[in-house]
Amino acid sequence: MSSPFHSASFEQLALPLLPSLYSHAFWLSRNQADAEDLVQEAISKALRAFDSFQADTNFKAWIFRILRNTFLTSRTGIAASRTVFLEDRPDLPDTIDANPTPEEHLIRLDNQAAINRALDDLHPHLREVLLLCDVEELKYKDIALVLDVPLGTVMSRISRARRTLHQQLKQQLGESL
Amino acid sequence: MTQTTQGNGHLGPDQLSAFIDGELSSSEAEEIQQHLADCHPCALRVLTATQLKAATARAAQRFAAPPELLARLTAQLRPQESKKTARIFSFRSVAWAAVAAALVLAASLIGWRQTRQASTLSAELLDQHLAALSSGASPEVISTDRHTVKPWFQGKLPFSFNLPDVLPAETTLKGGDLAYLNGQPAALLLFTIHKHEVSVFLIQRSASPMVTVLSGTQSGFAIRHAMTNELRIIAVSDVNPADLDLLISALVEAQTPR
Repeated sequence: MSSPFHSASFEQLALPLLPSLYSHAFWLSRNQADAEDLVQEAISKALRAFDSFQADTNFKAWIFRILRNTFLTSRTGIAASRTVFLEDRPDLPDTIDANPTPEEHLIRLDNQAAINRALDDLHPHLREVLLLCDVEELKYKDIALVLDVPLGTVMSRISRARRTLHQQLKQQLGESL
Repeated sequence: MTQTTQGNGHLGPDQLSAFIDGELSSSEAEEIQQHLADCHPCALRVLTATQLKAATARAAQRFAAPPELLARLTAQLRPQESKKTARIFSFRSVAWAAVAAALVLAASLIGWRQTRQASTLSAELLDQHLAALSSGASPEVISTDRHTVKPWFQGKLPFSFNLPDVLPAETTLKGGDLAYLNGQPAALLLFTIHKHEVSVFLIQRSASPMVTVLSGTQSGFAIRHAMTNELRIIAVSDVNPADLDLLISALVEAQTPR
């Protein structure tokens, strides 16, 4: 408790993260009431456990991990855990075309509705890791802490999430042409 | 950290992601920069991946937290501050109080548009009472002396009030704090009756023309409400409602000019 980090209060650390925690909770639970309950419960748990927070680690990763564990033990979380996720499903080409044309690669990223749809359709495991990386801007090592998986898994899931998104967007674009 | 470029000399997907996420060592990143300078397809893929990353971030931020939730959580976190750092009334706590007040005000404006005003206010009262109770949070002014507590509010509130000369039996004044209720500044007085904590809110009557608080119980807590010419007095506690009524009566009595 004598570490300088603990002179920063829980309030100072947690308050700026409330909007992020809510947004992430909504993505996990897909429901406003559940998201509110999740954030409320995660904050209460984190407050009680704050003394065990390691000063040299990332507070955001720590509290997101609490939020995620709260979700996993919730009713919606238990229901969601029944969805099968295969870590190494060879559903995407790992190699790339050596000479792609710009049309093949430049997808229409100004189409927000298409991106929203693709993100909605993404497997929850892939979406979760992508949100922690692209929205919450956590480093891979911190994401590994939140998800409790090895660093290599974080890396391969992020890469797979992006390839899946890319493919879905290309598909949507193809269908609309 | 990552596999090197693929057999065909191009960036692998994992490596590409790690590159745009800034997860590579400087030497690995430099190696890739050199490759990109000469390889149009890979440069195109890096560009697309960067754009996709930015688009994902934009798309994913579409769920904004409801102001009521933020107000509630802010109120829950704020008393913790005074406990952990044991400060006197500082500028920062004023700033947070202002933020909390703005949020509570926003929440109450939204509440007004809905028909469940009374229940919203009851929930807010209960939240504030629970916040005051939470894990030994201490009020801004800690004193059992009414001559210390009352002057503390002077200049902080747009109204004044009196404290009873004599409190009912087993009732003790613990301290006071500023609060915001239904978007209005309120004096929060903390009492104990037989070791039960009691929160009493005093707000200006003229400024609150429309919201009616019904005396009753919510989640096991009794809410009691009374009016004087100038003030609206609301008490929340888990104590026996009859004891709460005695305290309310004493407070109402103290406001009557003698």
